[in-house]
Amino acid sequence: MNAIIATAIAVPLVLAFVTLLVPSRIGRVCTAAGGLVTAGCILAAVVRTAAGAGPLDALSAVFLLPVAIVYGTVGLYGTWYVRVEAIGVDGDEAYRREFLALTNAFACAETVVPLLTNLAGMWVALEVTTIVAALLVRLQGTENALEAAWKYILIASCGLAIGLLGVVVMYAAGTGVLPAHYAPSWTAYMSVAGKLNQDAVRLAFMLALIGFGTKAGLAPMHTWLPDAHGAGPTPTSAMLSGVLLSDALYVIVRFAAIANAAAGSGLTLHLFFVVGLLSLFVGAFFLLQQRDLKRMLAYSSIEHMGLIACGLAFGARLAVTGALLHVINHAATKALAFFGAGRLAARFDTREISKISGGVAVLPASGTLFAFAGLALAGLPPFGLFRSELMVLSGGFDSGRWVVAAVVLGLLVTAFAGLMRWTTRVTVGSPPADMPCGERDVGAIASMFLAFAVVLGLGLFVPPPLRVLLTNAAAIFAGRQ
Amino acid sequence: MLHQLTVPEAFAGTIAMLLLLVQLSLFRSMVIAEFIRVYAIQAWLVAAICFGVGVTEGWAWDLLLLAVLTIVFKGTLLPRYMQGLVRNISSRVELPARINVLASLLLAGALIGLAVLTSIQLPLHQGAFLPQADLATALSMVFVGFLVAILRPNALAQVIAFLTLEDGLFFGTVTLAPGLPFIIGVLLLLDALVAVVVFGVLVRALVERHDAAGIAVFQRLRG
Repeated sequence: MNAIIATAIAVPLVLAFVTLLVPSRIGRVCTAAGGLVTAGCILAAVVRTAAGAGPLDALSAVFLLPVAIVYGTVGLYGTWYVRVEAIGVDGDEAYRREFLALTNAFACAETVVPLLTNLAGMWVALEVTTIVAALLVRLQGTENALEAAWKYILIASCGLAIGLLGVVVMYAAGTGVLPAHYAPSWTAYMSVAGKLNQDAVRLAFMLALIGFGTKAGLAPMHTWLPDAHGAGPTPTSAMLSGVLLSDALYVIVRFAAIANAAAGSGLTLHLFFVVGLLSLFVGAFFLLQQRDLKRMLAYSSIEHMGLIACGLAFGARLAVTGALLHVINHAATKALAFFGAGRLAARFDTREISKISGGVAVLPASGTLFAFAGLALAGLPPFGLFRSELMVLSGGFDSGRWVVAAVVLGLLVTAFAGLMRWTTRVTVGSPPADMPCGERDVGAIASMFLAFAVVLGLGLFVPPPLRVLLTNAAAIFAGRQ
Repeated sequence: MLHQLTVPEAFAGTIAMLLLLVQLSLFRSMVIAEFIRVYAIQAWLVAAICFGVGVTEGWAWDLLLLAVLTIVFKGTLLPRYMQGLVRNISSRVELPARINVLASLLLAGALIGLAVLTSIQLPLHQGAFLPQADLATALSMVFVGFLVAILRPNALAQVIAFLTLEDGLFFGTVTLAPGLPFIIGVLLLLDALVAVVVFGVLVRALVERHDAAGIAVFQRLRG
């Protein structure tokens, strides 16, 4: 294994053990440093891959970027969170250590998923993320947290069970075509795609879409998502939304690529449309009636996952490239939004939207950045999500699917209304008279500025290496590589 | 002309039938201890199919080892751990059913029919140990596992429904993909172990707070 990649995996893995043993004041600094080191390693590997010298393929590289962005910033944010906010039922040191250890373990598992091309290995890594994430979600010990963790592990485990059935059916499809006792790697399937049984491959893709789609938060399998995002610690919510959803999507895209190459793209695109439009619908309309800040962001995640699925479904190169860029933009923006929501919720001591106002006045940096995150999630320029949404929609109209593209546009407008309503509600206006104003938490603010740099930067300019990767990854999805 | 069953096919077919029948008995069980017994029996049956495939594949050591591990963990240790959980809460455990046994079985029968119809469309015969019924059995067990989880709204019952569903996957992995099982099988074992521990933690917390392992208390969050 390449040394850079090995470091990216080893750092969070080692920190998962270290942070359990050392005091949390040291553990949180180690986690921040580890997050930045891992992010640096991933970026180096991605740049080398874009130059044709890297150890990854383009699709893996694209789906690794959310890990770099979110884990890199979560570590910094954690320096504030652990010091001030990480108070469990007992408010003790053990809680903080457990939080840091699980966060690093979660990051490690999330890093491994996009590095794998073995379908069974992907399932294993996703299974590990489920277990660790469930422990993180229940960490705060409240009744809501317990219920959310219960729902999450039950629904996600059932989803993964169906996903494993997809792996098994795919394996059976390759039996007889590939050598006996073959490893179920993506490259092996692609090398014999034309000889695979088409019906079996289609069934495998359907099972993978339902199974791993559960973890990706695609409707109608999304029901765990708002609860888990709402009840978990804020950094966990950012990692769930920004990385875990995209990791699950990565596995689905690998299955789709095999199905596209083996049986044509007809079924995969239709199914992507179904779950994509349904997710957009659920996300957009539930956004209109949210009362909880973090649950609002959770429904926004469902909406954006729906848009990505629709982008893949349009099939046109521009739309697919836009969808893949959207994965990266969504990770950065959602991390920024959750960080801001966590800061506001901590200062106002509530997550209820109706009880928060004047966020920009109370927290000048965090409140303002949260407002930008809200604008970005709503799809306004000049942020990255605007660019990728435009690419998806342009690709949709270019592909001749006018009706579907128009429906997608309508649902995006609906989501825009919901997001703008709640974002303006909490950020502008007058704060309560007795609310202290100002903030000095360097780590948290730095993490938000880092995430914001990506959110804004990708709106203004897509670096050439990333363009190369996105184009190549789109070709992989189409089954052409 | 009727297909003459070979000995391995007859053996696998019998095991498949027993697995499904045992799983269907979950609809009539009223005591959580019976659920755990059913899970243990299923684990032994899955170990038997694993052993059978191992022998057919030329005494494949990985499959034989997997059979032993299955008996040790899923057939013995995990059921004992769950029995321990039940002993602590047995007086308060209720196993409600959303519909009666007959209606449950009819629904299960419909799902098994769907599984059979789906699987006969797929010519996945090459290399399969149980050519005509492997996918059908695996799919049926997954469907029935889901149905049990839906129709028996009790925390521990849902754990076991999930684990029997996983047994269906285990069966499918061993029979449909004999080159795959060792990694997946061991991880399914570990997964079952961790899942039971995680579920156990949650169930204990539930019991401490609500004096029952029912899921009626989980009504605050609406998805």
